[in-house]
Amino acid sequence: MSKTLNREGLLEAYRTMRTIREFEERVHTDFATGEIPGFVHLYAGEEASATGVCMHLKGKDCIASTHRGHGHCIAKGVDPIEMMAEIWGKSTGSCKGKGGSMHIADLSKGMLGANGIVGGGGPLICGTALASKMRGDKTVGICFFGDGASNQGTILEAMNLATVWSLPAVFVAENNGYAETTSSSWSVSCDNIADRASAFGMPGVIVDGFDFFAVYEAAGEAIKRAREGGGPTLVEVKVSRYYGHFEGDQQTYRADGEVKKLREEKDCLMQFRRHVTADGEISNADLDAIDSEVLALINESVVRAKADPKPEAADLLTDVYVSY
Amino acid sequence: MDHSSTVSVGIIANPASGRDIRRLTAKASVFSTAEKANMVQRLLGPFGALGVEQVLMMPDTRGIASAVRRAVETNPARELPAWPRVEFIEQDLLGGPEDSQVAAHLMEQAGARIIVVLGGDGTHRVVAAAVPAIPLATLSTGTNNVFPDWREATVTGIATALYASGRVARQVALRRNKRLRVELGDRIEIALVDACVTRLTHVGARAIWEPETITELFVAFAEPDAIGLSSIAAMIEPVSRDAPYGAHLSCTPDGRRVLAPIAPGVLESIAVDHFGRMEPGVPHLVHAERGSIALDGEREIEFHRGQVPKVSLELDGPETLNVTETLAAAVALGVLADSRVELELQ
Repeated sequence: MSKTLNREGLLEAYRTMRTIREFEERVHTDFATGEIPGFVHLYAGEEASATGVCMHLKGKDCIASTHRGHGHCIAKGVDPIEMMAEIWGKSTGSCKGKGGSMHIADLSKGMLGANGIVGGGGPLICGTALASKMRGDKTVGICFFGDGASNQGTILEAMNLATVWSLPAVFVAENNGYAETTSSSWSVSCDNIADRASAFGMPGVIVDGFDFFAVYEAAGEAIKRAREGGGPTLVEVKVSRYYGHFEGDQQTYRADGEVKKLREEKDCLMQFRRHVTADGEISNADLDAIDSEVLALINESVVRAKADPKPEAADLLTDVYVSY
Repeated sequence: MDHSSTVSVGIIANPASGRDIRRLTAKASVFSTAEKANMVQRLLGPFGALGVEQVLMMPDTRGIASAVRRAVETNPARELPAWPRVEFIEQDLLGGPEDSQVAAHLMEQAGARIIVVLGGDGTHRVVAAAVPAIPLATLSTGTNNVFPDWREATVTGIATALYASGRVARQVALRRNKRLRVELGDRIEIALVDACVTRLTHVGARAIWEPETITELFVAFAEPDAIGLSSIAAMIEPVSRDAPYGAHLSCTPDGRRVLAPIAPGVLESIAVDHFGRMEPGVPHLVHAERGSIALDGEREIEFHRGQVPKVSLELDGPETLNVTETLAAAVALGVLADSRVELELQ
């Protein structure tokens, strides 16, 4: 049974989701002080999506992320300490402090980068998936994108190309209900992004993005299909973000109490904890211990990020060109 | 039958039906939002022509209701046959099965004589549980469509209107169905076709497509030409919709092998070691000490060590519209043919 996680796997899933949450909550707090340069888009609320997908991936599998990329990075194994330094613009960051939140990348982990171009990840993943297919190494590429990107030509072209070439790719549409401030129920013509899959000749499924197990099962089947040469799949994850499009967004387009209700009734960490502790397989103390370890890690990441040096002026001229 | 003088019909079109993981694991059908909206419109013509005065429709945030609203607004301009008055139920939408439950309750309170349901087995289960006293006209837009009819919506629309307007009597138009009652402590759920106990400890992506995960199966009916889990029982001994009993079976790896289509596109060999009838009203205790229970193909209930779910068969399940019998009766009564036309019948 591909879908059953053992105790170790369940604890790993929780640790990943908790790390993403703690990281994002801390960036939310620290950004308000004005010390963090640039722009941040937080992933809090959507943790089950990145975690449920990336737990099926191996080191050489690739993911392409979005402007809301911190969760994807952590789930794919990028070091949170280097990530925090990157967001603080420090030379110890994942990209030596030159990228910031929206351009965190770590090719050694198969993380092609957060991406400021909405819909930019689709063509990248077609590229890596074509390389996988030509090498024949059974690796896969995952394109995370949002409801806004689902209307972009790049994503539609990428899904077409992935089917035409039968690429080992999975398109994960994280539909959080809003493209910046525009409701997806208004802007996505067919309303369910998954409905578009059949037009490209690929399967399209919808899963509850607050339920880790639902995402994990669906992503597992899609990734297995891709690895076995079955071609691409579109997985629409219905989810919601807890914060604004960016930090500072007043969110006047959201209903009163919308986020509060989601946090109280649907939160992925809450549901996960309730589920895995129900029959004593994992105790609340086990999970509390992970909470403490994660909190310590994130605290350390901030302390180090604040203390680490900024890039020098001379660094402006390094890493500009790549020779093949 | 009717506590309201208005001939009123409800429509619940589940925007989420036909989209789960079985599109991926089993090549199951896709029913797009546009097709569901088209099906609703194909109901409205017969409704308007055959005396339905008011349609109460469930709203949704996924585009079915808005497409119908646009069609209603343009219908007179296109000089099409008159449709009944279409009113959208006022309710807070949560995006889950509770939307169908709330809509069904509000339709019942508003005097709907019958509710047309567009969905699969799961959607029909939800509506049947919410309003057990209201008959359902069933249309398949789901994955496993064992309970609802596979039928052109126009024809279902004709039969629905014939019943709702009183042209065909209840005794002819409706059939009584069985149901399974699943109890876990204070929680009580129903299933219309099957209740399947699985080793999977979480609800997760809900569907079941790997036979080795199945430990027990309870069926209200099992027809050899049906898709889904009930087909396992049907391949051993069919149980008709009208039979006053159901069946149950358990699975072990060294049992008798049964080949059955447990999901669209999935023909699997399942090892069955016990098969027996279910008599109505007799509770069966689930043997597994932990796992989940799928109701009509979708995992809904998780149970843990120390909890023992009970499953029993009930004969007083929901009433559904028998489209074939209703139309045959209408023809016999001369409802649909102009009596001024002289026909030479041989």
